[in-house]
Amino acid sequence: MVSAALKLELDDYPTPAAPAAPRRTEIALRNVTVAYGSGRQGRKTVLSSIDLEIAAGEFVVVLGETGCGKSTMLRLILGQEFPTSGGVEVDGKPVRRIDARCGYVPQKYSLFPDRTVLGNVMYGPENAHSRVLARLRPSYFRFRKALRAEAISYLERMGLRAQDMNKYPHQLSGGMQQRVAIAQALLMKPPVLLMDEAFSALDPSTRASLQQQLHAVWQESRPTVVFVTHNTQEALLLGTRLILLGRHHDESAQRSNVLLDMQLPTAHLPFSRRLHSAEFHDLHEHVKRLAYKFSSMNRDADLSTTLTVEGNPE
Amino acid sequence: MKSLFRPTDLVGIQVQPSRLWTQSLSWVLFALGIALYTHLAIVRHQENPDDRVAPTARQLWNGAKTAALQPAEEDEPLDAGATLWQQVHASMLWKDTYASTRRFLIALALLIPCIMLGLHMAIFPYFGALCQRFVLFFDKIVALSLLPILFIAFGIEEWSKIMLMVIGVGPTLILDTYNMVRGVPREQVVKAFTLKSTNLDVAYRVVLRQVLPQIINSVRLNLKPLALFLFAGEMIASSDGLAYRIAIMRRHMGMDIILPYVLWVAALLFMADALLSLVNRRLHPWYQPL
Repeated sequence: MVSAALKLELDDYPTPAAPAAPRRTEIALRNVTVAYGSGRQGRKTVLSSIDLEIAAGEFVVVLGETGCGKSTMLRLILGQEFPTSGGVEVDGKPVRRIDARCGYVPQKYSLFPDRTVLGNVMYGPENAHSRVLARLRPSYFRFRKALRAEAISYLERMGLRAQDMNKYPHQLSGGMQQRVAIAQALLMKPPVLLMDEAFSALDPSTRASLQQQLHAVWQESRPTVVFVTHNTQEALLLGTRLILLGRHHDESAQRSNVLLDMQLPTAHLPFSRRLHSAEFHDLHEHVKRLAYKFSSMNRDADLSTTLTVEGNPE
Repeated sequence: MKSLFRPTDLVGIQVQPSRLWTQSLSWVLFALGIALYTHLAIVRHQENPDDRVAPTARQLWNGAKTAALQPAEEDEPLDAGATLWQQVHASMLWKDTYASTRRFLIALALLIPCIMLGLHMAIFPYFGALCQRFVLFFDKIVALSLLPILFIAFGIEEWSKIMLMVIGVGPTLILDTYNMVRGVPREQVVKAFTLKSTNLDVAYRVVLRQVLPQIINSVRLNLKPLALFLFAGEMIASSDGLAYRIAIMRRHMGMDIILPYVLWVAALLFMADALLSLVNRRLHPWYQPL
């Protein structure tokens, strides 16, 4: 059921391009509830009965105000946290621990400070190739040489120069560090890439350049991306699908749910033209209004409904 | 243009002293200390030419020469034709320094397992649950109160003194390492697992590497407590060592030997600290202390 007010808001949306063929489900959250605490302090439900399927190759942006459970959702997919009830699957298998099925780019501490740029990027593939003792074999040195060339090409694609390769993370700017972190995650070729407010701490121009590079890399290799942000414009610019998380406010608890789940109609526009198109502008205004409607600043909102908008919301 | 020095700058916070000022000021207290001591020695020697409490610079120099070139009283005297190297090698300072340094280094080596214990306690939750409370309790035991037990268990030879140092400093180092490892951002561990690390990879190749500079700094800070426990052990029961010699000389009021020994111990600790600091900087150029 869709509330009348929201239907009105969504009526103007153009029809997004329908997917060519049904795609494999990469990530599934099934009736997931996450609650913390017990005893005197009471139980706090962060996420409530979330049901979500993300298809392989989708670029899903998760939007919501601070504290609504965006990062919790990401940690569930990652295996860093477990639901109180329900289950999470990645690539058809339940998530029981953190593993290499998901690449991860956090907002900060995204690089190992004791390794150079190249050392950081090569760390994962080296682990995947062989264990420590096997690194004494001659074949390992051949592998390492090839890996080094591949790592450099990834880093160059992310906009790093040759002279940056042997720098330590503290010698790089925040934007450069995030570029390296993305290259580090992508070189592992994970089926899923999880990004937790990865660009939040960057200045607007660095952010814009990284958004462009991330989109280019995603278009090239099409990993499934779950990108958490609280920036509406960034969400609409990057994603093919938008998930808006919001809180329910009642007397006993605060809990978040999926308030809006829509394929983004602007995803079919060329990336370079997306930001300046009228379509993007309209959608941005709509989503901003919706986000406000569900924000903690507006407690009169009708929060009983989850909107699923695929194709025309009509 | 650089502003000129004004006297009010001395108590200012928003000032940047020049290199000349910084260097000069850093030696002022040393010079003041030496001047005060020299004055005290002169005054006491004017009152009593046989004063042994505050030896003069000449007496101190002679005492240092005796310590560095003469064998200890309990050892056999050297032949008259002994070379300088033979004199140094047979001297009480050499003998005592060797004995104390040996104990010190063995204790330092035995602290490595303590560091590993702290690392594992912080990384592996079940192991941490098993050990943490016990180590916290053990840390509160006054190590010197265990000295009689150590003498009974290990005898009055080397091992009781070494174990006193390990028991005295070990729990602090374990808990220090534990806290440093817990301070490694969780994102780093998560990231490592997404990069196909095993548990041991995370422990040794990610976390240990990151906290190693801090651990070395912690060892640097613990050098003095370590020396303190060594001195306590040597003063109570020993037949050689720097503290043993100081204790023996106290009986004879041999301040001309005690003071050079005290300065030598301080210099040794200073050099050990400087060496560890240098090693830390060379091995970990990426380390950015807060």
